[in-house]
Amino acid sequence: MATVTARAPAHVEAESDVEIGRLRSLWTTIRRKPLGAASAALIAILVLTALLADVVAPYDPLAAQPEIRLAAPSWEHPFGTDDIGRDVLSRVIHGCRISLWVGLLAMGIGTVAGMIIGLLCGYCEGRTDLLLQRLMDGIQAIPGLVLALAIVSVLRPSTTNAMIAIAMVIIPGNSRIVRGAVLSAKQNRYVEAAQAIGCRHPRIILSHILPNVTAPILVIASIWLGNAILIEATLSFLGVGTQPPTPSWGLMLSSTGRAFMEQAPWLALFPGLAISLAVLAFNLFGDTLRDAWDPKLRG
Amino acid sequence: MYKYAVRRLLLAVPVLLLSSLIVFGLMRVMPGDALTALMGESGNIGERELAKIRKDLRLDLPYHEQYLLWVWQMVSFHPGDSIFTGEPIAVSLAKAVPVTLELATLAMILGLVIAVPIGVLSATRQDSAADYVGRVVAVSGLSFPDFWLGTLVITFAAIWFHWIPAIGYVSFWESPLRNLQQFLLPAAVLGFRLSAATMRMTRSTVLEVLREDYVRTAWAKGLEGRIVVYKHALKNALIPVVTIVGGQLGVLLAGTVVVETIFALPGMGRLTVEAILFRDYPVVQTNVMLVAGTLVSLNLLVDLTYAWLDPRIRYQ
Repeated sequence: MATVTARAPAHVEAESDVEIGRLRSLWTTIRRKPLGAASAALIAILVLTALLADVVAPYDPLAAQPEIRLAAPSWEHPFGTDDIGRDVLSRVIHGCRISLWVGLLAMGIGTVAGMIIGLLCGYCEGRTDLLLQRLMDGIQAIPGLVLALAIVSVLRPSTTNAMIAIAMVIIPGNSRIVRGAVLSAKQNRYVEAAQAIGCRHPRIILSHILPNVTAPILVIASIWLGNAILIEATLSFLGVGTQPPTPSWGLMLSSTGRAFMEQAPWLALFPGLAISLAVLAFNLFGDTLRDAWDPKLRG
Repeated sequence: MYKYAVRRLLLAVPVLLLSSLIVFGLMRVMPGDALTALMGESGNIGERELAKIRKDLRLDLPYHEQYLLWVWQMVSFHPGDSIFTGEPIAVSLAKAVPVTLELATLAMILGLVIAVPIGVLSATRQDSAADYVGRVVAVSGLSFPDFWLGTLVITFAAIWFHWIPAIGYVSFWESPLRNLQQFLLPAAVLGFRLSAATMRMTRSTVLEVLREDYVRTAWAKGLEGRIVVYKHALKNALIPVVTIVGGQLGVLLAGTVVVETIFALPGMGRLTVEAILFRDYPVVQTNVMLVAGTLVSLNLLVDLTYAWLDPRIRYQ
């Protein structure tokens, strides 16, 4: 017992050192790679836009003004108006909130569930591992979007159900990455030492293995966030995600963007640009995180 | 090689069985059952009629019997009828599969034609303007949603060239020119999306291989640059590219769903989306399973190709 209490502060110190080291290496990479800095800035803008959508949006995203329907971009309406005279800029700003919210929650649920399954598989190995990993193989055999479509078809189209479907798509890949990281972390001498001095499993997992797994999880999560936004937009575009009149980027493209593409190309241009920028920002930021935290992949 | 192929084949069977269980289970977790939900949405239908339809569709059987029956139907190529149109699913699939197959093949070819040369150019001229352009193209391919690209292509093709996607599919054997006109733009959109990951992978593997000792030897003995890159480096660099192309098959199959919907191509993807919108669950479960089966088989093929290219893998 005395040994454990004597080691605790050292352990806490080591962990905070790791955190500081990680942030420092991220900061160095961001400074070295301008694209990393640009993506971080873009993400900050997106998050602020989503949080302050009510303040930033010049008009109510649902307020229709039929007298100015399909108006071209102007000073009053920089992104133009749609078929019933709603301001496209305000709808894109509010759509950002939906996209980030769905992306974050889906990614969060998928990451946590994937992490738990991965930890269980990697730590317990044996039959649990075999069974759960084959189940993950079974899920992964179905392409992500097709699986998400099938899940939404069962649960009925809605934003929440799209979120659940996306989370389900994320789980298998994440569990596999965490499992791999756990298996390699288990080889460390200090894990063996912790087992030898009789530490309980939850303690070994939480204090000795989990810190080794956080870097790959964060890298994958940031990349998945971009993908989750893309899948949500695709589901909404296909009519099985967010339902009208809620402003969602994918839905804006499919409902008005395609119907009025010849008269009003801005209806398709701006929501698509917003999706691309958001996905691009998260992809680039994921790359930067990987460069900073995953030495094996550093070029 | 033979032993490896058999082992991989045996491993694919449980994966497919598990996928079928997942798809089957998914279609049954709906509160009530699929039919009640469908009928509830479509209007007033009496209990007796509902019971009759349920019996016709064998939904009154216990779950395990329904599952075995469905697996048998799938294996014997008679996956039942659509609830909505009454058409046998096999007939709809026979019409839809060639469309998707053509789109996917064309997209894959276009994707590789875009990806490999740009990837090699990016690597051989690292940090030059050409490299930056190549990398921006690759990242855009990963970030631009295919449905947006598709919509833009149709929008601007309509505005500038007064071209709109043809309604009604024309098969290649009927009129090759009209068929290619129909498929070229959708395949280009899908191919561009596919090329992104392949381009990045080609760039990084070529870069890695160019730093190998044997490539340095090739340079040192005075070989021409083109021969060093194409004969010595590219051959080895392409092995991991085969894997990434294999990994792209899922993206390809998912991409056909979106692209077919946008360009009004009557393929598997559009059939699946329509079935989902009409909650035609026999069609949904058959199509999803077929896509999973195709993906598993193609991945198996990729693994075998990989083992053939790199003999070390067979002995792991």
